Formats: sequence, C-alpha cells, structure tokens
Amino acid sequence: MCAQSITSTKEAKWQKVLYERQPFPDNYVDRRFLEELRKNIYARKYQYWAVVFESSVVIQQLCSVCVFVVIWWYMDEGLLAPHWLFGTGLASSLMGYVLFDLIDGGEGRKKSGRTRWADLKSALVFVAFTYGFSPVLKTLTESVSTDTIYAMSVFMLLGHLIFFDYGANAAIVSSTLSLNMAIFASVCLASRLPRSVHAFVMVTFAIQIFALWPMLQKKLKACTPRSYVGVTMLFAFSALGGLLSISAVGAILFALLLVSISCLCPFYLIRLQLFKENIHGPWDEAEIKEDLSRFLS
Amino acid sequence: MACSGGGGHGQPSSAILSPVTPGSLSTSRTRAHSICMVSDFFYPNMGGVESHIYQLSQCLIERGHKVIIVTHAYGNRKGIRYLTNGLKVYYLPLKVMYNQSTATTLFHSLPLLRYIFVRERVTIIHSHSSFSAMAHDALFHAKTMGLQTVFTDHSLFGFADVSSVLTNKLLTVSLCDTNHIICVSYTSKENTVLRAALNPEIVSVIPNAVDPTDFTPDPFRRHDSVITIVVVSRLVYRKGTDLLSGIIPELCQKYPDLNFIIGGEGPKRIILEEVRERYQLHDRVRLLGALEHKDVRNVLVQGHIFLNTSLTEAFCMAIVEAASCGLQVVSTRVGGIPEVLPEDLIILCEPSVKSLCKGLEKAILQQKSGALPAPENIHNIVKTFYTWRNVAERTEKVYERVSGEAVLPMDKRLDRLISHCGPVTGYIFAFLAVLDYLLLVFLRWMTPDSIIDVAMDATGPSGAWTHQNPDTTQRVENDEVLDTPR
Amino acid sequence: MEDERTFSDICGGRLALQRRYYSPFCREFCLNCPRLSLRSLTAVTCTVWLAAYGLFTLWENSMILSAAISITLLGLLGYLHFVKIDQETLLIIDSLGIQMTSSYASGKESTTFIEMGKVKDVVINEAIYMQKVIYYLCILLKDPVEPHMISQVVPVFQSAKPRLDCLIEVYRSCQEILAHQKATSTSP
Repeated sequence: MCAQSITSTKEAKWQKVLYERQPFPDNYVDRRFLEELRKNIYARKYQYWAVVFESSVVIQQLCSVCVFVVIWWYMDEGLLAPHWLFGTGLASSLMGYVLFDLIDGGEGRKKSGRTRWADLKSALVFVAFTYGFSPVLKTLTESVSTDTIYAMSVFMLLGHLIFFDYGANAAIVSSTLSLNMAIFASVCLASRLPRSVHAFVMVTFAIQIFALWPMLQKKLKACTPRSYVGVTMLFAFSALGGLLSISAVGAILFALLLVSISCLCPFYLIRLQLFKENIHGPWDEAEIKEDLSRFLS
Repeated sequence: MACSGGGGHGQPSSAILSPVTPGSLSTSRTRAHSICMVSDFFYPNMGGVESHIYQLSQCLIERGHKVIIVTHAYGNRKGIRYLTNGLKVYYLPLKVMYNQSTATTLFHSLPLLRYIFVRERVTIIHSHSSFSAMAHDALFHAKTMGLQTVFTDHSLFGFADVSSVLTNKLLTVSLCDTNHIICVSYTSKENTVLRAALNPEIVSVIPNAVDPTDFTPDPFRRHDSVITIVVVSRLVYRKGTDLLSGIIPELCQKYPDLNFIIGGEGPKRIILEEVRERYQLHDRVRLLGALEHKDVRNVLVQGHIFLNTSLTEAFCMAIVEAASCGLQVVSTRVGGIPEVLPEDLIILCEPSVKSLCKGLEKAILQQKSGALPAPENIHNIVKTFYTWRNVAERTEKVYERVSGEAVLPMDKRLDRLISHCGPVTGYIFAFLAVLDYLLLVFLRWMTPDSIIDVAMDATGPSGAWTHQNPDTTQRVENDEVLDTPR
Repeated sequence: MEDERTFSDICGGRLALQRRYYSPFCREFCLNCPRLSLRSLTAVTCTVWLAAYGLFTLWENSMILSAAISITLLGLLGYLHFVKIDQETLLIIDSLGIQMTSSYASGKESTTFIEMGKVKDVVINEAIYMQKVIYYLCILLKDPVEPHMISQVVPVFQSAKPRLDCLIEVYRSCQEILAHQKATSTSP
C-alpha cells in the first residue's frame, strides 16, 4: 500500500490525519509540527501597584496578630485595665457596625435579609455566654505549663495566618479553621491573665479583631479602595507603634517584614512572571464552561 | 476475552485473527525479533491498552516474531499462561498499588524481569502506557542490561497542574534514553515530545486499529421510525458525561422521535439517571450499564448516530468502531479526534452542550432527509483505514530501526541522564541507575546468565507452538466463518 | 543397566542423576544432592559462636554460651532431619504406578505412591519460584469424577530442583513408559 501512494503522489503535502497512508515515514516531522502550541494564553499580566494593593490583605492580618499580642502583653503586665479595653472595643465595634452598613448603602443587608434585631441578639448571646464561661476559660488550661501555652499560641497564630482566606483559590484555604485557631490561641493566652474578667475581655477582643475586623476590611476594600489603603497604613503604623513600646528590635524586624511583603514580594512576582512558560495545545483536557446544573434543578 | 485458562485452547472468535497466506508473509519478512511487551494493563483487565497489546502481539507472531508479555498478577491469575497462538504471558506476583498499576521502588522488579529477559533471550523491550509503573521499571532495567527499548504512549497529559508537572518529569527521565517512542496520533506525538523533551525524530506515529470484521453494520437491527443516538463510553468526567446530561433533555424536548441508548458504567451514571427521572424519559433513554467488548457491536448497530463527548482523547477507538458499524459520528473536537476520521464521516463540535446539540441536529436532519450514505458504504470506507496488520507492519519497521541502534553504555547513559533531565533529577536518577547496575552485577554473580535455562520458544522462528500445529489455525478460521453473525 | 550423569540445579550446584533400568517398563531415577559439606557446617557454627561470644563479652552472662551450644546442636539436628534432603528418587513401573521417595540427611525417608490409574500425564511446567522462573517436572492426577480434567498437580524433585536438561532426560523416559502403558491398557 505504501509503495502505491509513493508513486501516485510524489509531491504530496503532509496532512495531519491518521486514516490516510501518507508517503512519509512514521517518524516524519513536518514543518507544521507543534504549530498549535500556545504559550501563556491564560497568564495574567500584573501591575506592580495593583499587586502591592492586593498584598495589603496579608499586611492587615499580620498587623491584627501583632496588635492582639501587644494588647495581651499590656494586659498581662497590668498596664491596661480590662474595662478600658472593653469600652474601647465596644465603641469601635459599634462604629464599625454603622460603617459596615453605610459603605454600601445597606445593600448587603438587604441581600442577606438579616435584621438588626438578629444581630443584636447574637451579639448579646455571645457576650453573655463568654462572660458566664470566663471563669472556666480562666482555669481551663491552668494545669498546662506556661511554656506549652506560649508555644501553642504561637503555632495557632501561625496557623491562623496560613489558613486565612486571602482571596486565593487554593485547597489549603479554610476560613473556619483559621478563625478557630485564632480563638484557640486567644483562649490559651487569656488563661495566663490575672483574673477572669481579663480572660473575658481578651476573648471578646479576639473575636472583634479576628472575626469582625476582616469582614469590615473586605467590604472597605471592595467599595472604597482609597480609604482602605489609608486604614491599612494607619493600622500598620499603630501596630508598629505598639510593638515599639515593647521592643525596639521587634518593631524593626516587623517593619522589615511588612516592607518586604508589600514591596519586595510583588517586585519578585513580576520579575519571575517573565520566566513563565505555560504550554497549551490540542491535548489539553477541555473545560466545560457552561453551567450544567440548570438541567437538574 | 482472550484469556483461556490453562492451555489456551478455548478461543473465542472475536479474538481470532484470520491468518495470512504464507506467501505474503515471506515477501516482506525481515529479521525475526524477540520482543517482550511489558505493561501493567493486560487481560483480564479490559481497555484500549490491553487490546492493543494483545492484537499487536498476535499480528507480530503471525509475522514470525517471538513475542512474550509481562504483566502483574490479577487475583488468582499468577505465573505463566499461554493465550491463542502460543502467546506467552507472565503474570508476575507484584503488589498492585493504585488503579491496577504496581507500586514502584525501581528495584524490586529487577530480579524477576532480568531472569525473564535472559531466559527468553529478549532483544527488544516494548513498554506500554505511561500510567504503568511496571512499564517504566522495565525500561529502566532494560537499559541497565543493555537491551533495546521501545515505548508506546496511549494517553495525553496537560501541563498545568502540579501532578502533571511531576509525572512529566518522571516521563522525561524514563524516556531520556529509550530508543524509540510510538504515539497513537499526531497530537499525542506533540504532547509526548513536549512532556519528555524528546527529539521528534525518534517518535513514530502508529495509530491504534480496530478489527473491522468485529464491527459490521446491520441496518435491519435499527428502527427507522425513530432516530436513535448511541453513546458507548465509561461514564466518567473525562468522557464528558456531564455534557451528555445537558444534551439529552435539550434534544428530547425538541425532537419527539429521538431515542438514546447509553452503554457503559461509571460514577457519573447517577446524573444521567437524575436527568432521566426529572424529564420523564424512561422510555426514550436506555441505560445499559457495563458492556462486554463483544456486546458493543450489537449495541452500536441499533443506532443511527454515534455521539462521543470526550473532553480529552489520544486516539478514540470508539468513533472508529461506530463508523465501522455504519453510524454517523458526532464528536467533540479534542485531542487527536480530528485526525481519526475524514470530514465526511464525522461532525466535529466544540465541547459544549450548545455546539454538540447543533452538530447532532445537523446529523438528525441529514438522517431524516436521507442524505447520509448507507451503513454498508461507510463500513467499506472505514474498514480500510485501520487494521492491526498495518499497525504490526509499521511497528516492525520501528523494531528494525531500533535493533540497528546502539544502546548507550553506562557512562554515556549517566552523562545523558544528567545533561537531559536537569541538575537535581538528573543526579538523583543517575545515582539510582548506578545502584540498579550494582544490583544487576550482584544478581549476575548470584545466578550467572549461564545457569539460567533458556525457555522453550512458543512463537517465533523456532516456535514450538506455531510449527507443531499448523492445522489449528486452519480449523479456527473455519469456525470463525461459521460464527460470524448475520 | 545403570548409569550416572552429572547435571546442575537451578542455583548452579552439582546434581548426580542415577538411572537404573530394571526392565524396559520399570525405571528408577535417583537425584543425589551434594552432602552437607564440612566447610559450610563449620562456617555456620563459627558464626553462631562468634556472635554468642560477642554478646557474652557485652552482657557477661554465661547463659548465652549454653544457649548457643543448644541452638547449634538442635538446629543441626532439625536441619538434618527435616530440611536437608540428600536423595530424591522417582520409580516408575508400567503396570503399578509412580513412587517418589525423598531421603533426608538423617536417614529418614518419606515415600509417596501414585497408582497408574490415577496418573493422567507427566509434564514439564514453568513456575515463578522466589525471584526466578524455573522449569519443574510434575505428575498430573486425573479427576476421579471427570477423567478429562486434572484434579491435582504433584511436583517431582521438589528439593533438588534440577535444570531443564535433566528434566527432559527424565521426562522422555517417563513418556516412553506412559505411552506403552496407554497402549497396553487400551488394546485389550
């Protein structure tokens, strides 16, 4: 069969088909080989300042942890009265609550359908329960050695930072796990404070800074990016200030960390992007782009 | 289907290849090779790779080569078995890890494989499927022993995710000093060349084949009052079962005289059942469940249109089988599918419900207006496209080429590993190759090649099987003629 | 008539095959493994004793030494009596059947007899043994219910494991006798 086709079409053009016996050897490489190869068709072009802006989520979370530790240290040293912290926390929470509705003109509330009364109820229930259980929280880990508690808190706060939902679409992200780890760290640390009212205030503060504050941030970021940058800067400087009052070296190191995350890392990302070689071609598994669930609902 | 228990006397007709006349054999006869096919996938497991290995081996035996197959034990099927025409199969007792693939430590299979290669005097190792750990092990050991190697890749891989990055790296290592690679389609060749960073000159394209006598049309089996669409595939995500679940209600609502027959089993069957339930299509959508290979033809001939919704496919035997049965094929345009059938026999669509529906509607319209050629004509065109004889002939050419090549000596092989696979992987695998070599030296010291008994050849130039009973093939041929369904 | 030839086993060790032809239809095949060599015996004993002395200097407990003595003695006894087979014999008599005898190094003998009526055939088969693929001779037994089926496979020369050339020698002789036996049993 091969001999036939050779004689009939000497000048045959190679075709990318299998059903025809072509007058070429099986390992023939045509000029059209790999012509359908595409590179980096889905690769994103990053803008430096846009990446810096996005990195602020990480900065915020680092600062939250820093502020939390600083506040705990002040409480532990007895320099900060629990009532004062509770009062400030309550006031800022109320402010944040009002802001939360004001930013998008109450649209988010309409969408979720939650009433103010429900919010108040859950807040009250939470505060009451925490207050009631604070003696238990205080004595819960009394028998555990202080070193263990510190080590555990460090790990939990690190875990909180790792698993936090920064907006990346990865399997490791789990906002519930992240929040639980942070609350666990706060319970651990609270048990080393002098009295049960301290523990109560500490846990409440942890909820405010780890659960409520990120929600407000997210909304701020989506609706008013400008003010969000301002808030982030302010927050970062206050965290740095707090840390400076405890340890100058720590503050310098923390500042370096923040600068490297917000300025150096984006720079590297954009540089490395030049080396990206993502190969696409007809062999890629096709994606189903339509929503097929409509046929079943 | 072709595994006869002990002696290999039970021979179902679907597995038999009618023998060529001796005259045509001797004209194209080249040197006879001693070939060892290695893959984790073989009968009693069923699939494209399995039947490829079986049919190719049978045709090579027919052409006078000695062929043995090495695979792992399937349940109780351990040790050595003979299949039709003295095809010898070693079922090695190696642990199966995942998806019928053996675990690989890169070393534990060396003693047995070396013993087999020596006792069978194998000259060419032909490994199949990149999913098979045993195939890669055999390539690695064969190169340590200085044997020629050929590898057939049956699948496509992406480049995007972490797992494919890893497997591609391993393939690079495994194929870096393989003499020749065979791919089943041009797309598959491009894919393999990119994945394993190969020189395209050493990659041949030899398509799969279909036994056209197994897939003959039978227009009286279908009812022309309604139009039947047949789908035969495993019901998994990669085969696009989700698309099918969108197509069925869309078309059934539009055409009241449209039926679906769906053959195959899989985790996605449940969504088809849900669709059927929701749209009350019990009398129009038949789910047949798992099909045996011999039943596929009987399902295919009941339909007018064959639908393939695969999301990725290196060759796609199913559409060739369907076309051979005289059906109009509608398929997604993915992987190597556009290369398989000429444009007048296939309607290619994008992998979306909308596009596939459009393609199907076109096919339905053609069917209704009688614009489609008769099944018998389609069959006569398709049956010339892909035959196992042709595959064996072309594979033989690859063996011929390979057997003239030199196998890299150890030092060159290490150099190549280090220079070709990148600094880290290269050094790791060069070290492993050295270990493998030392283990081989130790094994040669423990049991020298001279005290390993040479196995009796069942097939090949001095094959006991092929020479002793030339009358069996004759008898079998007669049986087959009688068995052919009308 | 009696002759002796040397073959090797699958590991390269020497084997002596003695054939005794008592009559055309009664033959005996005797495979002699090499006797337990003094060298390997000394090597094993020395290793055990050295290990025992090592442990003794470490723990300073004389129990270890006595244990080593008893272990070597008991081990040797057990090995000679249950493991080490010196000679394997296959006696095939046309009208009666096949008898297989294995003699242990201690002198113990164990004998299996299969009557001719049960024997379907004697064949050479292949098997995967440890990390090797070997040939072995085996007797196929008839299924009492279904005479065409095989109910059991009895391997011959299990401990000697001779190589293929030796097996073929024995196989040919067995086939001669079996062929004659079939011819005589079906003719009347």
